[in-house]
Amino acid sequence: MTGFDLPGLLAFWGKRYDDILQLVGQHLLVVAVALLLATAIGVGVGLLVWNSPVGRSLAVTSAAVILTIPSLALLAAMIPLFGLGWVPTLIGLTLYSLLPIIRNTVVGLREVSPAIMEAATGMGLSRGAVLLRIQLPMAWPVIVTGVRVAAQLTIGIAAIGAYVGGPGLGQMIFQGLSSLGSKNALNYALTGTLGVIVLALIVDGLFTLITKTTTSKGLRA
Amino acid sequence: MTFEAVIERDVSVAPAELGVRRARFWTLRRIATPIVIVLVLLALFLWIQTLEIDSIMARTLNADYILLRTREHLELTFIASALVAVLAIPAGIVASRTTSRLLRGTILTIANIGQATPAIGFIILLAIIWQIGFQTALIALVAYSFLPVLRNTMVGLSQIDPSVTESARGMGMTPGQVLRRIELPLAVPVILAGLRTSLVFCVGVATVATFIDAGGLGDMIVNGLKLQRFPVLITGAVLVSCIALLIDWLASIAEDLLRPKGV
Amino acid sequence: MTDSTADTGASRVLGGRPTEATIRTTTTITTVKNTSGAHIELKNVNKVYGEQTVPAVENFSMDVEPGELIMFVGPSGCGKTTTMKMINRIIEPTSGSITVDGRDVLSLNPNELRRHIGYVIQQIGLFPHMTIAENISVVPKLLGWSKEKTRNRVDELLSVVQLDPKTFAGRYPKQLSGGQQQRVGVARALAADPPVMLMDEPFGATDPITREKLQVEFLRLQESIGKTIIFVTHDFDEAVRLGDRIAVLSDRSKIEQFDTPANILRAPANDYVASFIGHGAALKRLALIPLYDALLGRATDARGTASLSETDSLRDALDLLVLTGLPAIGVTDASGKVVASVTVDQISAELGDDAGAGAPGVLS
Repeated sequence: MTGFDLPGLLAFWGKRYDDILQLVGQHLLVVAVALLLATAIGVGVGLLVWNSPVGRSLAVTSAAVILTIPSLALLAAMIPLFGLGWVPTLIGLTLYSLLPIIRNTVVGLREVSPAIMEAATGMGLSRGAVLLRIQLPMAWPVIVTGVRVAAQLTIGIAAIGAYVGGPGLGQMIFQGLSSLGSKNALNYALTGTLGVIVLALIVDGLFTLITKTTTSKGLRA
Repeated sequence: MTFEAVIERDVSVAPAELGVRRARFWTLRRIATPIVIVLVLLALFLWIQTLEIDSIMARTLNADYILLRTREHLELTFIASALVAVLAIPAGIVASRTTSRLLRGTILTIANIGQATPAIGFIILLAIIWQIGFQTALIALVAYSFLPVLRNTMVGLSQIDPSVTESARGMGMTPGQVLRRIELPLAVPVILAGLRTSLVFCVGVATVATFIDAGGLGDMIVNGLKLQRFPVLITGAVLVSCIALLIDWLASIAEDLLRPKGV
Repeated sequence: MTDSTADTGASRVLGGRPTEATIRTTTTITTVKNTSGAHIELKNVNKVYGEQTVPAVENFSMDVEPGELIMFVGPSGCGKTTTMKMINRIIEPTSGSITVDGRDVLSLNPNELRRHIGYVIQQIGLFPHMTIAENISVVPKLLGWSKEKTRNRVDELLSVVQLDPKTFAGRYPKQLSGGQQQRVGVARALAADPPVMLMDEPFGATDPITREKLQVEFLRLQESIGKTIIFVTHDFDEAVRLGDRIAVLSDRSKIEQFDTPANILRAPANDYVASFIGHGAALKRLALIPLYDALLGRATDARGTASLSETDSLRDALDLLVLTGLPAIGVTDASGKVVASVTVDQISAELGDDAGAGAPGVLS
């Protein structure tokens, strides 16, 4: 049992300032790249399947199955293929992000009222143009919400990625575990955990901003 | 894994869709899950059969060891989920009865922060400040799944059409009768969705319990990695994934069976 | 027929022609409803919400006779619903007294009380997880009725609200249309045969055609069961169509006028009430007077083939007169025989007849 020691923690932060910032940067980077990949894939899949009941069900169910798999199992199972390092973490985070993004894309595209689509078709827009110029912008706020959920998800899972050699604050947490019994164990684990929480909250706030700035003015509540 | 994603998935199903789902209980999707699980396990078994098992692998790739780890894993999962059900549902009912905005706000804020907390960080912190082992893992799991079930209970009760509870009161039901006969049955789908999330979630967190010596199938994953015996790692990962899928599948059936008719 | 009616009627209606021309059709109408209702009395009832200084309901007093159908009509937010909900204590009064058949509502156990007061709200509030039969059985079960008695009551009530028990008893609320759900709501409120019914805009959420149908059915139902009913609406026409008496309410549930529809239409107490009535008060009054209550001409005066039933209103008669351009139209009795005739002059005379307009039973 290790007691909590605030001055010790502050001193710890002061000494490892650079390390912590670097890990925060890595953490953000791997999450951001995974989200970008997942958004590209997820929105693409959503655009392909939104109007087909079978395709929709297949895409959403597969993504849901992936999300059901425990993260340690998924990350570890990729080691024989990709070895230790950033790659398994990046792929894992991307896979986990698919469900909220695909689902929200499909929901967002389907929510556009038939009257609006009929009006667009009536003005001579092709199906593809209706999809890309009318439906997608209207579905955007819903899609961003999906990405936001995915971000919350992956920031936490990325911490486990450290076990398979991934980047980020998870390294601090595992450092704490491996130095169990030493006086810095708590400081490591606490810094890693708090760092992830703070990151998650900041990113969530950032998404509020993104939603606001990237949504058409006419759609804002 | 986050709660939001799964909760949203379960709550957002349109009533019409539910009707269809009930009409055809054994849909392709419903039958497919156990078939896929069986096929995957079979493939795993056949693959292991083709391998040359050295002495290190033999220590883990045998029925006794695997069954022991599986039992540990399931124990941790089910005890934690049962505790959560017993503690979080009544707490959710009490919290939903309060008119104090402050209390509700506090609960929801804690729930949101709890959701942002990485499971691995929480469980390791607990091990550092207290002790390693099964009990710590259990407490971490309970604390972790407590808030989503609590929140789903609150949401489930608060989303009930107020006119329904008003007419129940207007007909002379006591507050207890309104809760038992009207509110709880109507909140069942949302509460169950929360429990299902919590179950699947516990399977996942129980995997990382290996880091604090609480056993479970995570042991196989970690050992396989440490000893550079990938078949061990893969076996552990596949087994734990199949367990998660199976529990999710069973929970989805329970949800459909226990969902009140007409809703 | 009383002498005075005959005299004034004759001279007025037929411009000096002799008495034999003064004809009322022969239908006997019951003036006293058969009632199972209770007497309700509200005395100086106040409701102040929380810390607010302005009361939502101020000094409300009203006496409701057994079997009366009382309409509370007023703009939204005037406190009419609050006033009604204090009777079954869904909202607790701040002060004042409310009695039902002499018993002080505030001293009773609210749950016990509510089991004996039917309650229908606009959103209906059917329990979605219970079948129609189970919904209707809730109060009988609370009251400990036997299974058999409850089941019979469910069938009986479904028939009363014109839903086939065989088809509907086992269905769930979401499988019913809005109008059907509303009927179940009324049946559920009637389940334990409560002497008092509270109805908060029960037909407000239905489309106009369904609403009118429900209103007609409801009136017929009330005629046979004779409950004491407090019925809240913001629709003045609905109040006129259904109510025995109408309470026109303004802010803080202040009673601007409390009288029969005919009297309110003929003599609104003030500008507020007049503005609530809106245009066409005379036509609205005509709609309230059935032909059998009006002084009519001889059957032989009728011209053309167009005719009306004696149960139709003067407004229907006027409508037909305008439409056909005929000077007089025949009125038939239940057997379809032309027994009287009606002209525009006779119709306008009814409106001028302060003493008799709309008052039933003058003849019988």
